[in-house]
Amino acid sequence: MASQLLMAKSPEEAISAKTAQAAFLAGGTEVNRLGSSVDAETLISLKKCSGLDGIESDAGYVTIGSMCTFQQLIESDKVPAYIREAAHFMASRTKRNMATIGGNIASMRRDSYMIPALIAAGAVLELAGSGGSCRIGIEEYLDKAAEYAGCLILSVTVPEKIKLMSKRYSNTAQSHAVLTMSAAVCGDGIVMAAALKNSGIYRLMDFEKALKADPEMSDDDIISWFRNWDAIRVEADMFGGEDYKRYLMGVTACDFRAGLASGSGKEVES
Amino acid sequence: MSKQYKVVHCTVNGKEIEQIVDVRESLTDMLRNDLRLTSVKKGCEVGECGACTVIINGEGFNSCIYLAVWAEGKEIWTLEGLTGPGGELSDIQQAFVDEGAIQCGFCTPGFIMTSWEIVNSGKEYTDDELRKALSGHLCRCTGYENIFRAVKKTMLRHLGKYEEAELVNSQGITEYPEPMPFK
Repeated sequence: MASQLLMAKSPEEAISAKTAQAAFLAGGTEVNRLGSSVDAETLISLKKCSGLDGIESDAGYVTIGSMCTFQQLIESDKVPAYIREAAHFMASRTKRNMATIGGNIASMRRDSYMIPALIAAGAVLELAGSGGSCRIGIEEYLDKAAEYAGCLILSVTVPEKIKLMSKRYSNTAQSHAVLTMSAAVCGDGIVMAAALKNSGIYRLMDFEKALKADPEMSDDDIISWFRNWDAIRVEADMFGGEDYKRYLMGVTACDFRAGLASGSGKEVES
Repeated sequence: MSKQYKVVHCTVNGKEIEQIVDVRESLTDMLRNDLRLTSVKKGCEVGECGACTVIINGEGFNSCIYLAVWAEGKEIWTLEGLTGPGGELSDIQQAFVDEGAIQCGFCTPGFIMTSWEIVNSGKEYTDDELRKALSGHLCRCTGYENIFRAVKKTMLRHLGKYEEAELVNSQGITEYPEPMPFK
């Protein structure tokens, strides 16, 4: 458990204090909870950091400061409907008042509320570290987690107008989700991503390719495709068996395909 | 590494306080252990059950995952601050009593703090919105209906809709005497 706390007043101060033994502390819903997986000697609180909680809309894209809380996202007219929907997956308003978009990304939970929607939307992160700042796609951030571990997420940029659908499955509104999945229309194809409890967060590129190769795939074929997909390891646990989780991904993919084709994705008009 | 302490200045239930806290101490611990405000319950300590809810600068927060040092300069209200000088219950507290919205009582302070925020928002929530607004709280006894009814009735009274509040039935549904005309 951390014994030291630094209240950083600027991103620069936070970055300069970051060492291997230190961790950034955003809203606190992950780091401050009992049994947190974050183990650091020093926590660098970002609460007083200036310039990390703005929401700007420009040229078809919305840039969201990493310290924006889920409740701020829900209440902002500038934030696309699909991001607001993902923020609503966190059922507790009192928790939404604390949880931040940057914190939710950086914690990389396998039942992440937000990451599947951000992957499907092709979100771009602005990062800052001791070597300077850069902009990278969220997939790269997740793929090279160790490389970017010392970086602070400054903002998240997402497209305003994109047809995107998300679904979250859990026993109750408050429970951890067994599956959170999102899909978006991208060019003439579909981008799909899933956060599968106790398994991982995936861009479902293999399925995207299979669907592109055979757009007329039947629902049964899709369900069977997920049942036989061996690129990921699906754990059976208290949330459900392997068959159940694979079936859930399959039927959700069917729903997304049908929904996006019929135009029921969340577009921005709000 | 040795522990680190800080002095926190904030207002709790209308009183200015100055408190030395361990920097890793939660607001729940500060309120319960240092200020003896034991209405703030320690339930899950992961921000799921809502029993520790307090109002900070007008909004509800789970104080178990909120660091005490973050309270610097903030205005905090707990259940103890809602009662009158002679211990009179506030209207939302009284509504919980009247509607039997309490059994073991452990979740009640947290529910009341969120309800207090709702009824003082000046907004008329739909039944759906009201249920969602309360969904950050877990109650293992009451089945929620009585709590929902207490909050809905108090919200309507705050909006001056006294007659409508009396029409809320045991399921929390507003029963109008005649069918509402189509709009």
